[in-house]
Amino acid sequence: MEMIQFFIKIWPELYKGLLVSLQLSAGALLLGLAIGLPMALARTYGKGLVKTLATAYIEIIRGTPMIVQLFIIYYGLPDFGILLDRMPAAIIALGINSSAYQAEYFRGAILSIDEGQGLAAQALGMTKSQTIVNIILPQALRLVLPPWSNELIYMVKYTSVAFLIAVPELMARGKMIITQTFKPMETLFWVGAIYVVVLSVIAKAVDIIEKKLAIPGFQMSRED
Amino acid sequence: MGLINDKAFDVLRSIPYLLEGVGITLEITVIALVLGTIAGLFLALCRVYGGSFLHNFAVVYSRIIRSLPLLVIVFMLYFLGSEIINIPAFWAAVLALAMHTSAYQIEIFRGAIQSINKGQMEAALALGMSKYQSIFAVILPQSLRRAIPYWANEATIVLKDSAMAYVLGITELMRRSEYVSARTAQPMLTYIVSGLIYLIMTYAFTKSMAKVESKVRIPGLER
Amino acid sequence: MKGEFLMTEPILRINNLHKKFKDTEVLKGVTLTVNEGEVVVIIGPSGTGKSTLLRCINRLTEPDAGEIYLGEHKIESAKSNLTKVRQRIGMVFQDFNLFNHLTALQNVAIGPIKVKKMNKKDALELAMRELERVGMADKAQNYPAELSGGQKQRVAIARALAMDPEIMLFDEPTSALDPELIGEVLEVMKKLADAGMTMVVVSHEMGFAREAADRIVFLEDGVIAEMGSPEKIFNNPEKERTREFISKIARLHGSDSEMPGTGS
Ligand SMILES: Nc1ncnc2c1ncn2[C@@H]1O[C@H](COP(=O)(O)OP(=O)(O)OP(=O)(O)O)[C@@H](O)[C@H]1O
Ligand SMILES: [Mg+2]
Repeated sequence: MEMIQFFIKIWPELYKGLLVSLQLSAGALLLGLAIGLPMALARTYGKGLVKTLATAYIEIIRGTPMIVQLFIIYYGLPDFGILLDRMPAAIIALGINSSAYQAEYFRGAILSIDEGQGLAAQALGMTKSQTIVNIILPQALRLVLPPWSNELIYMVKYTSVAFLIAVPELMARGKMIITQTFKPMETLFWVGAIYVVVLSVIAKAVDIIEKKLAIPGFQMSRED
Repeated sequence: MGLINDKAFDVLRSIPYLLEGVGITLEITVIALVLGTIAGLFLALCRVYGGSFLHNFAVVYSRIIRSLPLLVIVFMLYFLGSEIINIPAFWAAVLALAMHTSAYQIEIFRGAIQSINKGQMEAALALGMSKYQSIFAVILPQSLRRAIPYWANEATIVLKDSAMAYVLGITELMRRSEYVSARTAQPMLTYIVSGLIYLIMTYAFTKSMAKVESKVRIPGLER
Repeated sequence: MKGEFLMTEPILRINNLHKKFKDTEVLKGVTLTVNEGEVVVIIGPSGTGKSTLLRCINRLTEPDAGEIYLGEHKIESAKSNLTKVRQRIGMVFQDFNLFNHLTALQNVAIGPIKVKKMNKKDALELAMRELERVGMADKAQNYPAELSGGQKQRVAIARALAMDPEIMLFDEPTSALDPELIGEVLEVMKKLADAGMTMVVVSHEMGFAREAADRIVFLEDGVIAEMGSPEKIFNNPEKERTREFISKIARLHGSDSEMPGTGS
């Protein structure tokens, strides 16, 4: 009972935080998509320097912690005269991080569309880029949905690192409430509960969308 | 301004100090991985072979932990420590990382176990092995091999996530980087250096796990 | 023909066995006695319960009703005696089920080591002898994925033999094999039968059935529709259904399949 009263008291504050978390995730995912897809194409179809750079970008991002990326952008860029507000800094850092993972999902999907499909299209007289745009990508985009939805869930979770540069997202609001109320366990319980509920809803929604979009008999195995 | 200036040397001179932090980062990572792997494997076995209580426990545990951000778990254990039993910050971080990874490892090991043809278990039982013998002599040696690449990927995630121990003030690589960055007023260079150190570690680990994987590969078998 | 073997004791007695999966009744009261040294070949249409019957014998499948005795010993699922009973029953599967992570030799040795607690050295020697028996000694150090189907099945037979079973169950041991590999497996089974092993074999290899079987059991719709000597079942079955089925498999498999030296 007490727990519930406490929840009612802190909910407005947590709700604001949740909205920020969701904005962060959405921004980061879109930015990740905008960078990740070209990176995947560059790594898969690029030659020479383009391929090398794309590969290096992806491997460097995937090989380093998200916090380091966040701190480079938020604390490091001002050295070069680039000052970013907390929110854009967080979105850019999370987006860059996500782009490397998304690039790998796309690459996996592109590679798994069998060569036969590409050859068949070229036999019809399509150019390489026509083939990629018209034949490979439409299939790869569907195939990438399951790993991509995992990335979505990952992103919502990992927006909590933005708390480290004081973006007022869910975790940060929780931390503030703890300082004000001295009720750490109760607060964290409700913060955790919100994450569990929100992520379950997202997972369920993604599931439904996936079923709708599925091409019968055509799927990439899902890791979890 | 820029990376190359008179203070850049201060950062480079701090590298030994950062490397001491690497020791702590590795300590956190290794202990968390050992605990997380033991728990993950045990719960995966519960999930696949356990009675309904153990099975359901493993399912719910995995679902909930995988929905919680690592930072939330870190703070829960940390404040639980300050409220009930005193968990030192180091152990709060290690246990949080261990719990977090264990939930993902349940899924990794479960997938690996279930990917083994059920005829393997039947053949073992038909020889007169007990269920435990069948699991340990026949199923696990095969499924653990299959799990290696996924486990290796998870291990690098733990290494990278160990940077979050920073929030509890543990002087691992990330926290020391912050000190160096503040002292030298060279955040860009400092974080690039620490990023490189992480990169070297994840790269070396990934490469050596690939070696291990090919070393224990079953001859003739696809994967 | 082994008809002249002295058939002493019944070694396996199956009494009124029933098994249902969900709503479908697969075994509807099967009663069958197998004597020591006897080779019983079970035939019957797909989905009729042949595998289920074999799997009930060593309790890979739990029957709903009926009793099974191995010698004087009633087979029950109380854990304490189940592993003991299974040691006495060898089983050979359609898809071999060799342990993928072990060499041929280790596959054969693991039963004696884990189940009989035999020391490693003795077990490996025993395993080598069993591999020689099935003509696989030269592949002892190979892993299953490096063997052909026929070779895998011969190793699987050796693995079962290494437990020194009183009876061997074969569930369509050659039906996953390419035609040219069937002969080598049937040859091993024939040798085993000649050596006096008690065998229950689900198989539609007519050549083998004619040569090695003491009795053919025609299972249909979960009951034994007819049983008798190979001559009777193949040449003058009592029931029209049996005759139809025999001519059908004769057409599918060839009347005398790749049994080496069968030639007719
Ligand atoms: N574990 C199970 N769960 C549900 N149904 C089963 C199971 N095992 C077997 N069945 C069903 O029981 C029936 C008999 O199966 P069984 O495998 O014993 O047939 P069979 O005579 O060996 O056929 P085949 O010649 O194809 O091997 C089939 O209809 C099958 O679908
Ligand atoms: Mg069958």
